[in-house]
Amino acid sequence: MVAQMHSSQSLRNRLAEFRLIPRLETFPRMVSFAQTSLGRITMLAAFGLGLCYFFPSPLLALSFTLMLAFMTFMPEYRRFILAVTPIVFVVLQSYREPLLLGLNLAVVGLGIVLYWCAMRWPKSRFGQRPVAFLLAGFTAVIVFACAAAPHSLPYTILWNLVGLMASYVWFIAYALIDRSSKPARDLPLEMATFHPLWGSTNVPFPKGAAYLRRIEAQNPEQLAVVQLKGLKLLAWAILLVFFQVYWFRFFHGYLRIPTADQALAMSVNGTPAAWHLRWESLILGFFELILSISILGHRIIASCRMAGFNALRNTYRPLSSTTIAEFFNRFYYYFKELLVDLFFYPAFLRYWKGHKRVRMAFATFAAAFFGNAFFHFTRDWQIIRDEGLWKAIANYEAVLLYCAVLAAALSVSQLRKRGPRPVGLFRGHVLPAFGVGLFYCLLSVFDTSERMYPLAEHLRYFASLFFIHF
Amino acid sequence: MKGKAEIHELVQGLLTACGDDGSLADGDSLLLSGRLQSIDAVEIVVFLEENFGIDFAQIGFDRDQIDSIDAIYALVQAAMNRN
Repeated sequence: MVAQMHSSQSLRNRLAEFRLIPRLETFPRMVSFAQTSLGRITMLAAFGLGLCYFFPSPLLALSFTLMLAFMTFMPEYRRFILAVTPIVFVVLQSYREPLLLGLNLAVVGLGIVLYWCAMRWPKSRFGQRPVAFLLAGFTAVIVFACAAAPHSLPYTILWNLVGLMASYVWFIAYALIDRSSKPARDLPLEMATFHPLWGSTNVPFPKGAAYLRRIEAQNPEQLAVVQLKGLKLLAWAILLVFFQVYWFRFFHGYLRIPTADQALAMSVNGTPAAWHLRWESLILGFFELILSISILGHRIIASCRMAGFNALRNTYRPLSSTTIAEFFNRFYYYFKELLVDLFFYPAFLRYWKGHKRVRMAFATFAAAFFGNAFFHFTRDWQIIRDEGLWKAIANYEAVLLYCAVLAAALSVSQLRKRGPRPVGLFRGHVLPAFGVGLFYCLLSVFDTSERMYPLAEHLRYFASLFFIHF
Repeated sequence: MKGKAEIHELVQGLLTACGDDGSLADGDSLLLSGRLQSIDAVEIVVFLEENFGIDFAQIGFDRDQIDSIDAIYALVQAAMNRN
């Protein structure tokens, strides 16, 4: 009996330790090889080939790989290269449009000036709450842009400015909160994080310059380890791309199950899909979102690691989450970190100090409701430009409901976390993971890529999943 | 007066609650390494507020300050010196 149990435990351990891609960074000979010139060239070549899957042209992949090669062989110039290349790319991309180029450089300049002001006058009102001032200023620019006469020069300038600010505002915000970090701050690295070379969405990957300073490889061995991890992550991203292709072919091509967006559109158009198809599309949509976010994050973090920064993965085993808060942390780590750093901590450290539960719930709402809603509202600034401010806000009600339910669920999840967890594989892991998946699946009805459906359409679709029709 | 042992106990408890039974040295990175999450940082903040009267809204908050037992202890000592 004891022998049987021991054998079962050993099998579980072996399964847990199984890796589709071996842990190359733990093999001493591999780490030694990765420190040699031949090893570095081999890794860079393999990485460059892998990038061809993701970059629109091989030339772009080659240019990026060359930058990585410079940083690998001359790590002392790493920060300089990282600081200069985003500016060079901006100039190359927009030199034919002087207005766009000027505004782009002006936004970067504004970020640097704000960063300098926050450091220069830390006790001033701005120095105390620089991110609040930044976001208020950004909101004011949006309001002014809405007020400008359509197709006039101020309209063109202001909406171009809104678009650029939307893509830079969170990077500048990270630079502003870095003002109090130690060791001493340095401008080149701050500039490097304004849309870093390795790419990003509107969410800064991986956070700001303070974080980069802490995770930078300090010697050839650390660089070899982090680059091996980067190479592995890119390989993993490529495997997921293949998986994604066959997934779509099978479920949406062969089985003809509508995508989540299509199923909602069919419902809105009065030709709803069959009940089982609505559920199937919802469940598939949940997994597809995880897949696409994983691929995106892995590609960016792999490149960041190749540049010498040991960043944590953006998506890490989200399906193993046993609480709603844990899933939120594992699914899109750097977006969660943005909400935590810029909204949760400032609210938590300032308000409701005497009321533990209220304090936690308030800070969670500041992040998951207000921060989340503000991020997505300003990210989709084209809707505000095309539909006008009030209509855009009115049509945002489904997302607001999504953010409110998410914030409430996260609050409950965080407060409940302190209790003892159930034991056993089924009660302790499978059942909670299923519940978490089901929650996010159902919530995704209110977070589709189509922002212009009224809330009633989302609610109607949601109710129809449970045979309730109105 | 609470000291390093209490901090160690708190951190060990948070790690155990996260299912992390690995070894814990005083210099080990907690947040940067991903062993503890933001919600766990909140527990540490509350512990420091309640036991040592540290007000992060006043002194500014940086996760580096609480990234290891040594760092937390240094923060506590600095607060005690201020008082």
